[in-house]
Amino acid sequence: MNVPHVEKADTTPAWCPGCGNYPILSCLNAAIAQAGLDRRKVVLVSGIGQAAKLPHYVEDPTRDTSRLGTPAGGANVFNGLHGRALPAATGIKLANHKLEVIVTSGDGDMYGEGGNHLLHAIRRNISVKAFVHNNQVYGLTKGQASPTSEVGFTTPAQPHGVTAAPLNPLAIAIVESCSLVARSFSGDEEHLTAMMVEAIRHTGGFALLDILQPCVTFNRLNTFKWYKDRVRPVSGDHDPYDRTKALELALKWGDEIPIGVIFRCDRPTFESRQPALAERTLLEQFA
Amino acid sequence: MDITIRVAGQAGQGVKTTGSLLEGALAEGGLHVFSTQSYMSRIRGGLNWFDIRAGEGELFSGKERAEVLVALTDSARDILAETLAGGGKVLFDGSGGDRVAGIERGLQAQCIGLGVPFTKTAKEVGGSPIMANTVAAGAVFALLGYDVEQLCRYLAEVFAEKGSELIDKNVRCARRGAELLGGLAGAVKAPKPGSAPPKVVTGTEAIALAAATAGVKFYTAYPMTPSTPVLHWLAEAAEKYGIVVEQAEDEIAAINMVCGATYAGVPAMAGTSGGGFALMVEGVSLAGMLELPVVVFVGMRPGPATGLPTRTAQQDLQFVLYAGHGEFPRAIYAPGTVEQCYELTRLALQTAHKYQTPTFILADQFLADAGKNIPPLDESPGPIDRHVVDASAGYQRYAVARGGVSPRAVPGGEALVVVDSDEHTPDGHLTEDLAARVAQQDKRMAKLDGLTAEALAPTLYGPKDAATLLVTWGSTYGPAREAVDIINAGKQSVAMLHFSQVWPIDTAAAKRAIGKRKRVVFVEGNQTGQFAATCRQVGVVGECELLSRYDGLPFTGVEIARRVVGKSKRGSR
Repeated sequence: MNVPHVEKADTTPAWCPGCGNYPILSCLNAAIAQAGLDRRKVVLVSGIGQAAKLPHYVEDPTRDTSRLGTPAGGANVFNGLHGRALPAATGIKLANHKLEVIVTSGDGDMYGEGGNHLLHAIRRNISVKAFVHNNQVYGLTKGQASPTSEVGFTTPAQPHGVTAAPLNPLAIAIVESCSLVARSFSGDEEHLTAMMVEAIRHTGGFALLDILQPCVTFNRLNTFKWYKDRVRPVSGDHDPYDRTKALELALKWGDEIPIGVIFRCDRPTFESRQPALAERTLLEQFA
Repeated sequence: MDITIRVAGQAGQGVKTTGSLLEGALAEGGLHVFSTQSYMSRIRGGLNWFDIRAGEGELFSGKERAEVLVALTDSARDILAETLAGGGKVLFDGSGGDRVAGIERGLQAQCIGLGVPFTKTAKEVGGSPIMANTVAAGAVFALLGYDVEQLCRYLAEVFAEKGSELIDKNVRCARRGAELLGGLAGAVKAPKPGSAPPKVVTGTEAIALAAATAGVKFYTAYPMTPSTPVLHWLAEAAEKYGIVVEQAEDEIAAINMVCGATYAGVPAMAGTSGGGFALMVEGVSLAGMLELPVVVFVGMRPGPATGLPTRTAQQDLQFVLYAGHGEFPRAIYAPGTVEQCYELTRLALQTAHKYQTPTFILADQFLADAGKNIPPLDESPGPIDRHVVDASAGYQRYAVARGGVSPRAVPGGEALVVVDSDEHTPDGHLTEDLAARVAQQDKRMAKLDGLTAEALAPTLYGPKDAATLLVTWGSTYGPAREAVDIINAGKQSVAMLHFSQVWPIDTAAAKRAIGKRKRVVFVEGNQTGQFAATCRQVGVVGECELLSRYDGLPFTGVEIARRVVGKSKRGSR
């Protein structure tokens, strides 16, 4: 079949220069290394969107990753459907709970299309680590509102401004007794890497890491500077097991936005309650 | 010789308990049984019934008319009295030997109803109204002239784990029920017990057992009639077989969990019905794109939308055949019997793994709930071949391969396994390279050739040269088979061709089997002739007739025979 060679224009990665996804990618690579993970045992799961393409860019040493400025290492990848990263990750973790399953996807994917799955993944307390690139806007579909867009934010689809109140993922996770709730900012790579390592090392079940991230093309309101001026690491004396205090932090938004480990809650993991997983993984039953 | 016992009452009254008790005891006594369930979508009230047909020979269908009606409520008695066969009897919960109200209205003048105080006796003898079911079963045994001790032995087995006190109470209730029948004992001529297999299995039980033994390690569903019994059965058996069973938040989650689990290397299944399957459709397409061995059990019921939630239909063949955007190969199995529910569930799993593409078990409420005593099914684990390979660094999940099937590695080994719902290069990474797209699309679709070559040929029942051919698929096998026997006992000659795989179709075998017939009649539980349309599409048939039913109840053999003969007498095309 005679087809035009459009692949010659297929740049890797498919992100805009200055996108917050670049530091998130390099922090993830660093966090995997710092946590000492064997990349063959890591599965990166994503849905659809610009953030969801990230797993493709961590992996192949033979691909041109020079623009990423990070060493490519590789991982297993399950890039599934829009909004459905969490159920897929749940299935993977149950089939082989010795794998480290990390979801890395955007706010539209995780809080919009897949919002219901987030509620239930937290309830189950399945040991999946969810890293949500939250830039408060839809990128790949060209600039419409996301579930976390602020009221009044104007877009081609909301020309008179967003009227729905923004979703507060951290507050939701806290009231659902999510075992680890944290927030970071793509502009503070040291902090972000530390939060990722924290989530990866967390053995208590589901972890939600909300990552504030500028969208240089479509979000002219919540810019790099806007976030930079507002994010404040939570103070060292914050007790993450104190739900009320955690909720207060989660509800803070505006002049000050707390980043760090906001909440912790000790609950049995989903896998630990499955008799079929007591001695070996489901996959090992075939060994 | 066979009879039908219809146990009827409100939801939550023990209709199913009484029916199962009678069915199990009759089967263990050596009779062939075939049971069907008819129920309303509610927790209490309404009118439900459980039909047990018992006979000297193997049975494949229910019957419209019953010889015995066990009415647990007055309305069950009054509404269903008109479904009694000539000479039939009604046992109802009450007193006196009154003629049934419905009968007095002249519906079945020869029918006699007898009031048996099921509930009162249960309270007196057993100490609990719950045992009214056992009193009724005892009365039925006496009515049919069977030894109530056979029922008592069965009760002792059923309640073995619950202790001797409960067994004693139930046995006394059964005996008292038999005594209460007095002069009516043996009033209904009943089939002679033989040596039929003792164990009754339903369609969903067979599907669940096959899944467990074939090595399904993960099963998930959002509860939906009529697929739910598979979820319950597997949840109960999860520890024994080493399975994780999870109730998903919705069907979208269920199918995506199955995609994840199969990607990670374990056989996995989801179960649902039409409305839930509608939610799964994008995930089915994902399984096609990622080339995952996903298996979905779809138990059909009448739509559109919520339709008749607890009734039966064969309406979703075209839906399942085309579910999922884009083009990708699939196989659809449609069991015709309880045994086939077992065999084809295993085959669906094998095929999905061999060809790395989604397959479906398409059944319906009739077959899902149908019970039959069959030779014992193999309950020991016998995992299917997952066709998984060990691979090393540089592995390409979607290497272009002959027949379209690439070597399948799973994550956790030496090789990185990369899969993407976007079009991808052989290494699994997303691409917008149009030539790569064509290569991958061709690779995926190439699997259809192998699937077609392995398609199950349709089976013929009846005389090879019959002038009339009934074409059936899925659960209509049983009723149509009985119709063939009924019709051939008369002057006409009819055969049945049954498809237990409805996609892909073995067209050569189908064409040969259909041959040249005076009449070709598709018997389908839908209004539009969905399988006839598929057969025409692949060039297997031309002009044909459609015998359809879509009121929510299953076909019966008597009905099909009546309609096939009636139509030919009136002179059809």
